[in-house]
Amino acid sequence: MSTAAQRFLQDAAVKSADLMHREIIRRGMDSYDAAHLKGRARIRDWEAARQKCQEIKREAINHLDRYLLQFEEKVIARGGHVFWAADSEEACAYVKNLATQLGVRTVVKSKSMVTEEIHLSPVLEKAGIKVWETDLGEFIVQLREEPPYHIVTPAMHLNRGQIAKLFREKLDSGITSDDPADLMAVARRKLREAFFAAEMGISGANFLVADAGVIAISTNEGNGRLCTSVPRIHVVVTGIEKVIPRLEDLAVLWPVLATSGTGQGITTYGTLIGGPRRPGEADGPDEFHVVLVDNGRSQLLADAEQREVLHCIRCGACLNICPVFRHVGGHTYGTTYPGPIGSVLTPHLNGIAEFKHLSYASSLCGACTSVCPVKIDLHHHLLQNRRNATAAGATKSSERMMFRAWRSAMLHPWMYALGGWSVRKALRILYRLGLAGSIVDPMRVWNRYRSPVPLPSESFRARWRKDRAAN
Amino acid sequence: MPQTEKAPTDNSSRARILERIRAGLRTVIPEPPAMASEPVILKPVFFERIIFEPISNPLERFQQECVSNLMECALTADSAASARQLSEVLQSLPAGEIFVQDDPSLRRLIEMTTEITTELAAPRRAIRWSSQGAPAEASQATVTLAEALIAQTGSILVTASCGGRGASVVAPCHIVYATTGQLVPDLTTALSRVSQERILDRNSFACVISGSSRTADIEKILVQGAHGPRRLVVILESGG
Amino acid sequence: MSRKVSLFVPCFVDQLLPEAAVDTVKVLRRIGYSVEYPEEQTCCGQPAFNTGYWDEARPCAERFVRVFKHADLIVCPSGSCTTMVRAFYPELLAASSWRADAIALASRTFELSEFLVKVAAVTQVGATFPHSVTYHASCHALRELHIHDEPLQLLRQVDGLKLIEMVRSEECCGFGGTFAAKFPEISSAMGNSKAESVAATGAEFVTATDPSCLMHLEGILGKRHAPTRTIYLASILAQQSPPPSSAQVKP
Repeated sequence: MSTAAQRFLQDAAVKSADLMHREIIRRGMDSYDAAHLKGRARIRDWEAARQKCQEIKREAINHLDRYLLQFEEKVIARGGHVFWAADSEEACAYVKNLATQLGVRTVVKSKSMVTEEIHLSPVLEKAGIKVWETDLGEFIVQLREEPPYHIVTPAMHLNRGQIAKLFREKLDSGITSDDPADLMAVARRKLREAFFAAEMGISGANFLVADAGVIAISTNEGNGRLCTSVPRIHVVVTGIEKVIPRLEDLAVLWPVLATSGTGQGITTYGTLIGGPRRPGEADGPDEFHVVLVDNGRSQLLADAEQREVLHCIRCGACLNICPVFRHVGGHTYGTTYPGPIGSVLTPHLNGIAEFKHLSYASSLCGACTSVCPVKIDLHHHLLQNRRNATAAGATKSSERMMFRAWRSAMLHPWMYALGGWSVRKALRILYRLGLAGSIVDPMRVWNRYRSPVPLPSESFRARWRKDRAAN
Repeated sequence: MPQTEKAPTDNSSRARILERIRAGLRTVIPEPPAMASEPVILKPVFFERIIFEPISNPLERFQQECVSNLMECALTADSAASARQLSEVLQSLPAGEIFVQDDPSLRRLIEMTTEITTELAAPRRAIRWSSQGAPAEASQATVTLAEALIAQTGSILVTASCGGRGASVVAPCHIVYATTGQLVPDLTTALSRVSQERILDRNSFACVISGSSRTADIEKILVQGAHGPRRLVVILESGG
Repeated sequence: MSRKVSLFVPCFVDQLLPEAAVDTVKVLRRIGYSVEYPEEQTCCGQPAFNTGYWDEARPCAERFVRVFKHADLIVCPSGSCTTMVRAFYPELLAASSWRADAIALASRTFELSEFLVKVAAVTQVGATFPHSVTYHASCHALRELHIHDEPLQLLRQVDGLKLIEMVRSEECCGFGGTFAAKFPEISSAMGNSKAESVAATGAEFVTATDPSCLMHLEGILGKRHAPTRTIYLASILAQQSPPPSSAQVKP
């Protein structure tokens, strides 16, 4: 078992038993569920909306080179720069070199999961650059020196008391209120200093619009707006798969992203940026750089079954509905992307041997697939990952041998019947001796958490044969 | 000035990534997929399924959406009424400079508002015009026009021409001066117009704004007013 | 079409929960179907398939197709096993010589409640069960077979039965087959959340289309010393007046 798998098992065990954690998550998810339903009601034909979004992303991914080149051409024509980064190292190096060459001392960042994926902040900080996370949730987890808990609401695992205490310790010892509005005001005051002092703003992009040559960012707080308006350099870090063909595609993608992500009809700000400030504009950055990150995505294109995983618009709906996520939380996964999409994607980005356990940590209930706004067949991809893991020989040989024995039994009814009868008989004896749950009990994992399964003296088959013989 | 001198193709990974993309796309995807759990929708679809409810009364819809977006929308009959409305809003704000998009209609509106202020013997405000540069950090409000209003989502569409990027986000109060003639029914219409009129070729920035800034990052409780404006006011004048 | 069905009994029902199959037969006979049970059947292959061992699952699937090849209609007291045949056999046997037979077989295989309501076209099966019952929507039946309403239609026709709706009835109970063994803490945490939803209804019984869910829930409820008992759908439908007291009803 990989160390990532071991850590996951330990963390999952701890978190599953943590009832306070479960209660906080339950309240957060109940709030999301209610908002999401209201959001859905604003869309007349939700299934048609999903279908349309799936078609848009399918067209974009199936012609990825064409649309990326179209996007790049327009950005460059307007004086922007486009850098293609094969992996994390190249992407971080580009941003770091740019920052150091242009004398950047402070960076303000708006939310970008890709910058988490490539671990950009530590690289910049090692170069002596101060990085401020400006999204409130990201700001909070940055102060706590922990990764984001959820791709849309990074601090949903904390209550207001914990956040007030954190702000008191790290920002201002005079804080007395734990009211969310007051805490936001504290963060606003602090981060405003950063917005107006920073030389560089780094953002992600929800979409790269090919025909218009612009990035599209969906936000609520206004921090993304400030990061991309005030500092003199704007850097966008984005995955290559974020591309969409046309500006008009946003007419359905924006509402669907907002509905799935937070239950809103649309996020407060749908920002479109195509380059640095033009002559005559009152303000805006002098430089505009788009870093297109590959980092394993192009490999996924070749996968006939799983190419559609690249359709993901990072809305977080699958995390919200997943019962496993609701019970273990985002940190347990130990990956940049948690939840169902994370479990499907991470083996492709970071290797199947180390991360296959995530594909097994699922009951395959299919709730994720049912809510995905771009109709990714998530739970079936988890099943495929399991098959890929065994085919690659990445699973325990003892398990394979066990299933080989199982197969032999199932191919021979007498073996199956005898085996079943023997196990039932043995367990009945064991339990009569009071050894349920002990080290010799093969069902001890079951019996630790549940009362024992019934052990009938006759199988259905035996009863049927008896009835048949009697008639 | 390092980066600006390099040619775009001087990025060695670019060719490699494009080659990998093209190689990956040569894989044929079976249609329909082998393990579809959703019932396969028969293709081709000859009619476009209606995703959003059609909007019969854009003005009414816009006003309803403003309410749910926590935006203020004041309907006015003429520019005099608009000026009075603007004056009222400004009076409610703390003292301090305001930032205004430098446009003839706003110059006129501010002039009328200033007259009202003088009549009321209220203190005058310093005004910074967008032609002078970016809004000051301490601005109490910004006043801009809009490119369009979108009824479906209760949104205003602004561009860099509407006073720049900071004009709609720096100050705690953003006031938009618009006319009912600027209303379009939905996002599709608005975005089509942006494409057809090549608005993004003439503007480095555009934004669809649907309310005041907000966050729910703490306990999923909605807080109005995050890093952007706490108040978004639309003075909506009949006509145009 | 002849009123004859072949019974597909999941291996764990055969070994651990035979009453579920016995009651399934009772109900089918009562509505006028004769039931055949191919005794050579063993397992559909789902455990190996779900764990990723498709090479080991494939021969079991091929054998299954052979055993049931001549059956006109197949009824199964389990949504997850029906899913294996309907949703996954075509994929698993895509390169097999049994592919065409598997596809044909898939279209004739039904979970019990969908068989009763959609094929036999009955919702009233003459059952009496004067108890309060809540319904858990098992995941495979719900999301793979799209069974939403059929079990509820059947339950509503049961004489004396009081149906109480559960919150989050569509949330997974946490069994998930080998998931329960590999991730027992998560599995039981999910089971306990489901048990809380069940308890909130105050119902005497919880039922579902899947005996596997119920077996897991029974274990969880038992550990919690909860008053609610599980009962498989067919076992409710098999009950006829005079109704036994709840103490006598075997889950």
